[in-house]
Amino acid sequence: MRDSKKRVCVVIPAYKEAAVIYDVLTRTKKALAKDKKHSYEIVVVNDGSTDNTSSEAARAGVTVIDHILNSGAGGATATGLSYAQQYGFDVAATMDADGQHKPEDVITGVHTLCGSDVDLLIGSRLIDSQGMSRVKVLGNKGLSVVTYLLFGINSTDSQSGLRIYSKNALAQLEWKSRGYEFCSEMLWRAKKIGLKIDEFPIEAIYTDYSKGKGQSNWNALNIVRTLMARRISEIFR
Amino acid sequence: MSLYILLIFINLPFIFLAITGIITRYKMKRISRRRASIQLLIWLFILMGLIVARPLYYWLFAQELTASDALSLFDVVQITAIVFLLYIVNGLSTRIEQTEKRLNDLHQALSIRLSSKK
Repeated sequence: MRDSKKRVCVVIPAYKEAAVIYDVLTRTKKALAKDKKHSYEIVVVNDGSTDNTSSEAARAGVTVIDHILNSGAGGATATGLSYAQQYGFDVAATMDADGQHKPEDVITGVHTLCGSDVDLLIGSRLIDSQGMSRVKVLGNKGLSVVTYLLFGINSTDSQSGLRIYSKNALAQLEWKSRGYEFCSEMLWRAKKIGLKIDEFPIEAIYTDYSKGKGQSNWNALNIVRTLMARRISEIFR
Repeated sequence: MSLYILLIFINLPFIFLAITGIITRYKMKRISRRRASIQLLIWLFILMGLIVARPLYYWLFAQELTASDALSLFDVVQITAIVFLLYIVNGLSTRIEQTEKRLNDLHQALSIRLSSKK
């Protein structure tokens, strides 16, 4: 991809994040404005939250897409990326709404992707897992092993929410999972359609809030179960 | 009429409908080639199973590999019910999948359109 000025759409799927989303968005806006090389638009996909997530996001002055029904993280991400594709963005990025991702890492990722021929760039929290609890490291590594066993994708952090997408990836990537298992399925679909995938190290910020919002081990088990069902059903497709 | 012949005749319409349904859906690009091939194989396998049921039973009986009774009228009804249910389930699963995708696409498009009107 040529390294000229790009329009970047930063998609933030959000569900019941009213407590922190305003701060996350103002911090992200401020950080992204420092990058003069590319122009950024932040799009929050409010996934049918029953709290004030939508109004808090609107107060921060970003584009807000309200899901009428709660569709899950996979559905909200798909809507955001579909928006980016429809409005002709050159690059898209996804990041979490709980504030665990540094906006500076989005900028680094966008620059890395624009200077390479990569289509999907994963921000890996596990290349340097400092600050992450042992349980989380184990859970995330476990899910990466499951992703490798089921789909043959070798990723150090298959569940990372910080990802950068090229225009090519935006046009071609589709997945069926609606929940958190979409993270692994997306990598599989990307591999199947021949997209070039790479990783870059990112730093995750764990506050009491983001720790509380994080995925439980039961959810990890549910992700494994759903991924296995998806893999088996795809044999017949 | 032999019960084995009756079994084939009763089930033949379902198998015919299933196979033509698969071919039609594939030609109309509603299902992938891979999925169509697998479904066709399953239905052809069922058809073959029904056709060879009688010689297979007698062969197994002669080899003393089974001591069960020959096909009864109840068996015919039971097997027909299973084949019919397979036919229904297969059609329904394809329809549910298509409806789910259309609903997701609709939800996505509607959400984006409504946000742009704000």
